[in-house]
Amino acid sequence: MANALGMYRTVKRLGIPDSNIILMLADDAACNSRNKFPGCVYPAAARDLDLYGDNIEVDYRGYEVTVENFIRVLTGRMDSSVPRSKRLLSDDRSNVFVYMTGHGGNEFLKFQDNEEISAFDIADAFEQMWQKKRYNEIFFMIDTCQANTMYSKFYSPNILATGSSKLDENSYSYENDMDLGISVIDRFTHYVLRFMESVNKTSQATMQDLFDMYDPDKFASHAGVRSDLFNRPIDQTLITDFFGGVSQAEVLAPEEEFYYSSTPEGGHQQESESFTHVDSATTSGAVKSNNDEIHGYSDLLSVVQDLQREPPKRDTTGLFRTWVSSGLMFALVAWVSMRK
Amino acid sequence: MSEKQETETIPPKDPSKLTFESAFTRRRILASYWLVILLAVPLWWSYTSISRLSLPESRIQALAGKQWHSDIRVHVKSNVKAHPVDAVVSDVARLLKEDLKESEGVSIQFVTDSKSSADTYEVTLNTNVERASLRGRKLTIGMLPDDDAESIESSRLRLASVLRHLLVPPPPAERSNSPQRVVKYSPRYRVSFTLLNEDSASGKAAYTWDMQQAFGAHLGPTIDRLSPLHNFTVESQVQFHAPLAFSPKAVEHEGKIVHGLTHEDLTVFVNSAEWTLSSAVSNDPVLHFVAFIPSKEHDPLYILDDEGHPTTSNAFILPQWGGIIILNQHQPHLNMFALRPIFQTFKTQLLTLLGVADLPPAGIQLDNNEPFSQWQFDALMRRRTMENVEESRDTLLSIVKLVNQIQNMPVGKDVKGDVLGALNALEHAFEVGSSSPMKAFKYSAKAFILSSKAFFNPGNLGMLYFPAEHKYAVYTPLFASIAAPLVAAVVREFLAWKKARREGLAERPKTD
Repeated sequence: MANALGMYRTVKRLGIPDSNIILMLADDAACNSRNKFPGCVYPAAARDLDLYGDNIEVDYRGYEVTVENFIRVLTGRMDSSVPRSKRLLSDDRSNVFVYMTGHGGNEFLKFQDNEEISAFDIADAFEQMWQKKRYNEIFFMIDTCQANTMYSKFYSPNILATGSSKLDENSYSYENDMDLGISVIDRFTHYVLRFMESVNKTSQATMQDLFDMYDPDKFASHAGVRSDLFNRPIDQTLITDFFGGVSQAEVLAPEEEFYYSSTPEGGHQQESESFTHVDSATTSGAVKSNNDEIHGYSDLLSVVQDLQREPPKRDTTGLFRTWVSSGLMFALVAWVSMRK
Repeated sequence: MSEKQETETIPPKDPSKLTFESAFTRRRILASYWLVILLAVPLWWSYTSISRLSLPESRIQALAGKQWHSDIRVHVKSNVKAHPVDAVVSDVARLLKEDLKESEGVSIQFVTDSKSSADTYEVTLNTNVERASLRGRKLTIGMLPDDDAESIESSRLRLASVLRHLLVPPPPAERSNSPQRVVKYSPRYRVSFTLLNEDSASGKAAYTWDMQQAFGAHLGPTIDRLSPLHNFTVESQVQFHAPLAFSPKAVEHEGKIVHGLTHEDLTVFVNSAEWTLSSAVSNDPVLHFVAFIPSKEHDPLYILDDEGHPTTSNAFILPQWGGIIILNQHQPHLNMFALRPIFQTFKTQLLTLLGVADLPPAGIQLDNNEPFSQWQFDALMRRRTMENVEESRDTLLSIVKLVNQIQNMPVGKDVKGDVLGALNALEHAFEVGSSSPMKAFKYSAKAFILSSKAFFNPGNLGMLYFPAEHKYAVYTPLFASIAAPLVAAVVREFLAWKKARREGLAERPKTD
């Protein structure tokens, strides 16, 4: 949860109003009875910065954070009764930044321990957004185990994607808070946020600078970048294109005459930006990304990968197994019933 | 002995056979199980399959290649000897043709008969006219009476440029570097007016305003004029405490300390976290208009230019969001007189945001006190029509494309209905496009609304993607455990039946 809250704090600091941020949070950490610091979420063991703080606006929390709601937010297919604050009101001029974190695996990310979103779902959702001109550019960032597989299925234009780790790699947490007994932030997000601290509203830092900062030794994983769908050179793409709100104002000349005369001057283009954060932290722990849990997952995941890597073999052996077990069952039933 | 006889007459009970069991009952029970399963199969099929109704693809594809264009008819009358109608028309038509791009979707025709249609524009050329004037769809413009080539050329160039600006205002992108100032088309807008006191406790505040009267007097005609295009809902409020999220820079100006807003400050002026500027009752786009009264601490508040000097301007526009005006001098009660300049500014801001083009740079006068001219309204309507047509066509095309591309995407009855409705409206719009601009606009707006509705239908959400092994994982434990005993029972029953038949056959010759 500290991952998403840290990112939320950063985009807010860079001038995105809350109305343009959609924060989806399991939100079960701050007020968890096992949290020794009630109402606080710290991104570091030093506990010098409280991310939960005074002014955060969580749009979707707890059981509202579902795969379906996330896809609905992206595609805009909402019930008419959903309020503005829960909608992604973007258009063809919007740059959208999507940050996701949680437990994941090869081509999926878990939501709340009971659902998962696959890379195909996100890719389709982005394509639908593109078709309805709901974005100008998307910057997709994901911090999870085997994160880079999540953006491998994208096929819509103008998407820049980055993830924390390769296939078969875990994303590790940055440090443990011994008082809480859990790890507090992931390495990838920690270093990205640290880099973002050097960026301000008028910064000229580019995406390339961000990607150059990636260091496999520090992350303990190989962070990846996918820019083949993106049609601008990334060394000319400013970080603030995605992380900063650069709404521009234009000054009107004083009105003197009674009849209509409008002479606006000095206008600049506006970029309305909208941000979506998803944090699918587990509901079991107080704060997500416990190292042990990650290892537990990697065991499970390796099975899935093996299955996926060799589909023909799986088909025949699977079939074989099915028939053998059915046959065994038949034999047992027959034996029991035929017994006189 | 007797015991032995008894055992011979009453055979011992076979524990594997029940007294009430008969082959017939057993087979009926088995058959009823299978019957239930067979009857449930269609139900299961209809519940798990995705309803995908067919869409009128060929009709939608047929629209894809069509170029939208509307005809404008102009009738020219000349009272100037040096400018006979024929010569003026051929010259101006040539100039306009050079200037207009195909993509602007407009063709201008010059007609000789002004009575042909109510939509015909009338241009009268006169001498001794200082300022060109507009009344309804009539334009009176002055031409130089001299008949030397140079003045004829300049007069006609001017006429062509004025017509170009009035009939087809160049897209805003070409006029200034703020192409995204104009809000996107929506059939409904909410217009919210706020009298915002930074801190009324500081003693410098306006507590009441004659908003209703001022609105009626200054904005009412404008809103009425625009009502064929949009439906407006107006709301207003007074707030007494609205702190800024930053503190304005103190600068020295004419020997006094004043407070200034730099250009960067303007962009973050709206403190969206703490100001509630509109009610959230509907999802219509909101246009905000704010009269901001700085607190005593920040008074007077000016907008600074790039060099950091205060400017005379006190109002600015946030593109697509709304307009803000800063009031430094005011009474505790803002009466009609005090509100006049404020609402004039609001009017300008509103028109700018809605995309009403400015009058051509060459001074043109509106005859009566219309809020803006019929020419501007028509030009706006033409532009909105074209935008709506293109937008709804793109939406329809992308619906078709997505439905073909994403096999899991359901297409329900209401989606199909909306797509058909949008398609019909769009085809009507193309039909009436050149004859009746107003009807074409109505149809295009309908197409726009319906196509967006079809696209954003909540039921349209593509089912989530499940890999094949997920499906096996769900179905195998459910069905294998039921299917195995059922199939085994059938096989067993069949074997028993065969055995019985064989025995029966073996017995029959004996009895016969």
